[in-house]
Amino acid sequence: MGTNRDRINNKRRKFFQTSAALLGGAVVFSIMKPVELLAQPKEEEPSKDNKENLPLWGMGVDISKCVGCGKCVEACKIENNVPTEPFYFRTWIEQYTVKNDGEVKIESPNGGIGGLKQSVPDEEIFKSFMVPKLCNQCSDAPCVQACPVGATYISPDGVVLVDETYCIGCSYCIQACPYGARFMNPVTKVADKCTFCYHRISNDLEPACVEVCPTNARIFGNLRDKKGDLVKFLQKNPTQTLKPHLNTKSKVFYNGLSSEVR
Amino acid sequence: MTRIIFRLLLSFLVFVSIFILIRHFLIPDTFGENGHYRAYSVIENKNKTLYYKGNEACSECHQDILELTESDLHSEVSCESCHPPKIDATTECKVNPPIVKGTIIFCAQCHEMNLGRLKKGVPQLDIQEHKGDQNCIECHNPHAPWELTEIE
Repeated sequence: MGTNRDRINNKRRKFFQTSAALLGGAVVFSIMKPVELLAQPKEEEPSKDNKENLPLWGMGVDISKCVGCGKCVEACKIENNVPTEPFYFRTWIEQYTVKNDGEVKIESPNGGIGGLKQSVPDEEIFKSFMVPKLCNQCSDAPCVQACPVGATYISPDGVVLVDETYCIGCSYCIQACPYGARFMNPVTKVADKCTFCYHRISNDLEPACVEVCPTNARIFGNLRDKKGDLVKFLQKNPTQTLKPHLNTKSKVFYNGLSSEVR
Repeated sequence: MTRIIFRLLLSFLVFVSIFILIRHFLIPDTFGENGHYRAYSVIENKNKTLYYKGNEACSECHQDILELTESDLHSEVSCESCHPPKIDATTECKVNPPIVKGTIIFCAQCHEMNLGRLKKGVPQLDIQEHKGDQNCIECHNPHAPWELTEIE
């Protein structure tokens, strides 16, 4: 009996010893880890103070100025190598025509390239207007949440971008986008979308669509620059975003948006 | 007994290290530096090819036309609205000049009668009624539309 109890005691002792050692090791490790991190040189991560210095890009669209000439659509296709087929668009213009009987007709032949033409006879029209559409660069982007691999993301300056080398082409983001602003690029076989011409705005140029707009219906700028054109536009005009009930916190602001616009 | 525990621990360690190793090779460099994405992708997006040069680049050679344009109603229209570039901005435009458009269809893009664009400061015309058989540029200088050419 005595030997048996010793054996049990020994086992118990060993068990306590090993668990104490493990626990102690874990405690030491958890203390060491933060110390190690402190010792490492601090990486250049855009912290919150740093982000304040970065621009926050946004766009204003003045529907009362847009004439639907389609120059922006054409320029976008040239600048970003978008295929010329009439169903691949990073930006496009829709012509809304409200008829006298209340019916709303929405047209966008070839995205508006070559100028939009009215197909409804003048007598039947109650009102008509053009709405340029593009990626709304949401701050709470559904497409970013849907991406399973982290190939679409919001850049530090607030632009939703696509990582073309990392995208697996699953199209989830295209389905997730409530604005229909994404498409599958048939050449690169990955998701494609408006980037506010990220290569241009990073070089102090305006996006191609803003550059060519003959009536200045598009205003591009930094939302943090309180004296900038865009902030002035937002202060002067009552602006709205598209589908605000979806809480996407979009950064494209429309002036003169009618309730017919979807 | 201890040997069993030792083996268990060893196999556990082996599996964990294999997992860490595979993970290390599968996750691309710079992933997760600024968030759940490859940080280098931002630079890749920045380095794409430029096509549109902007009015300043045009003014290097065509200052006279730019001044003429600024004196008239088309002053808000940038050069590349009507002369879109054919090639990227790094190449000299003399080698591959931009497309020149001067047809009626082209002017109609902005000026053809459409109720959707009335009262927006852009003159709207029934092109067929206004021009007859002539091309727009026979009377109007596209750079200064109110500089009319006399027709004999």
